Amino acid sequence: MKLTPEEERMLAGEMGEPCRKAMEIQVQLGEIYNAERMIEVKNVHMPGSSVVVAGKAGTRFVEEMADKGGCFKTFTTLNPAAGDLDKWEEIGFPEDDMDLQFRLTGAYRKMGAVPCHTCTPYIAGNTPAFGEHVAWGESSAIAFVNSVIGARTNREGGPSALAAALTGRVPAYGYHLDENRVGQVLIDVDNFLKEPADFGTLGYWVGKIVQEKVPVFWGFNTRPSLEELKMLGAALASSGSVALFHVVGVTPEAPNLEAAFKGYKPEFTLHYTKHEAAKTVQTLNKHKGNRVDLVAIGCPHSSITEIREIAANLCGKKLSANTGLWVMAALPIKTMADRLGYTKIIEEAGGRIICDTCPVLGSTAAVLSKWGYSSLATNSAKLAHYSPGSWNLETYYGTLDDCIKAALTGRWAE
Amino acid sequence: MSKVYAGKKVVSGVVRGEVLVSPEPLCFLGGVDPETGIVVEKGHPLEGRSMRGKVLIFPIGRGSTGGSYLIYETAANGNGPCAVVNLKPDPVTVVGCIMAQIPMVVYVDEELLKTAKDGDIAEVDGEAGTVVLYPKI
Repeated sequence: MKLTPEEERMLAGEMGEPCRKAMEIQVQLGEIYNAERMIEVKNVHMPGSSVVVAGKAGTRFVEEMADKGGCFKTFTTLNPAAGDLDKWEEIGFPEDDMDLQFRLTGAYRKMGAVPCHTCTPYIAGNTPAFGEHVAWGESSAIAFVNSVIGARTNREGGPSALAAALTGRVPAYGYHLDENRVGQVLIDVDNFLKEPADFGTLGYWVGKIVQEKVPVFWGFNTRPSLEELKMLGAALASSGSVALFHVVGVTPEAPNLEAAFKGYKPEFTLHYTKHEAAKTVQTLNKHKGNRVDLVAIGCPHSSITEIREIAANLCGKKLSANTGLWVMAALPIKTMADRLGYTKIIEEAGGRIICDTCPVLGSTAAVLSKWGYSSLATNSAKLAHYSPGSWNLETYYGTLDDCIKAALTGRWAE
Repeated sequence: MSKVYAGKKVVSGVVRGEVLVSPEPLCFLGGVDPETGIVVEKGHPLEGRSMRGKVLIFPIGRGSTGGSYLIYETAANGNGPCAVVNLKPDPVTVVGCIMAQIPMVVYVDEELLKTAKDGDIAEVDGEAGTVVLYPKI
């Protein structure tokens, strides 16, 4: 691998031990993937920000880097934590997990990270430019930033994203290179998709088939919204490991079909009809009865538009006495919801907006047992994918409207 | 008779230790108990065996990136291997060994995996990228 003089100095330890160790990680990863050089990055979104992922070991490692003077060279935002940093006690996140979490968050902060603890950094203040090389973790955010924004990242794990932040470098391989961003599979979509959950269903079906390939979507007659693209990417990255997709006429690297495939032929074509959609919804529904204990919206974290829709549907109403409603969002989005009066409406109905965390990355088992929840309804294909296996919950999957109705009645209407 | 296997260095350091060899890939996250260094994955050829202080030889690592932190924690607890030798590198194991400063050599000939037996002595040179195997007599 060819290193610049500055990179050589990092590797020689002239910029401190954390930077040396981080550079060693980047060089070795570069060697494995046959990278010829490093690329400079100024933007990192840090996975492994929850102690549920990092554990005691990861926390100790991050603390060690911070204690030895590690300092992030990049603008760095944090992925969700194990619990709501402000309201963890009343929600029921366990104290020992939160103690460890505050240590982990503190160590990242000390090195310069912004502790926004969200999986949607792109609507909470971290928005790279088109074509910019970045180092992002969090599968749903990776799919969004690569595809919708057209920035370039590989699927970074905790340690490699930490190394990127400490060095401001990533090895030049994978999705950083033009040749790996070419569409591979054509998805011909019948035009019946109406709302975010429909895009999640589509993504879930496609991800399972294409796995890590680059799908190209074709056939929407209206431009998908931010929320729809967010759901599409999150689902693609949970049933499969898609890091990049194109939507012809919508995402920046796919102004037309030819550009999406760079003149190559698709490896194969999939046709998505109402039939596939219905079967996928059926797969994601794993329940025996129709009782709903908890409705969870905001996987990935809700936008202000989604919170507005929830508030509009709850205004002047009360949730079923035995059903909870969690709306997960990034702190800046919740602040906006506070100002707009949406938080008040949701709380008066009996629900709550939860920040900094989510069921997938939080200490969820403890909270579920505190409230006695054994079933969950969501409009997120990603959350519906994880819910039965991770916490043994009866799982209901449908549209936002289905979910709100379930919150109000305590029952899932078939 | 000793035999020298040439590979590629990943983490530097020269160590000598008893061999623990797995014919199958190893998953650290969920597969190894960091409090003991014992492999806990059900049905794994090394199930119930401790890697503490051993020259750990296996084809390749597998599993989530959380595995890197687990290698680090196992080593930080004093239960890690003294060296790691892989036929092929994978990002999780490589990053874990760098974090924990465990000498590591990759791309050695497959013959090493077939010849080496538990209890043999191996000298791993993470500078030269070599493994010298001294069979147990």
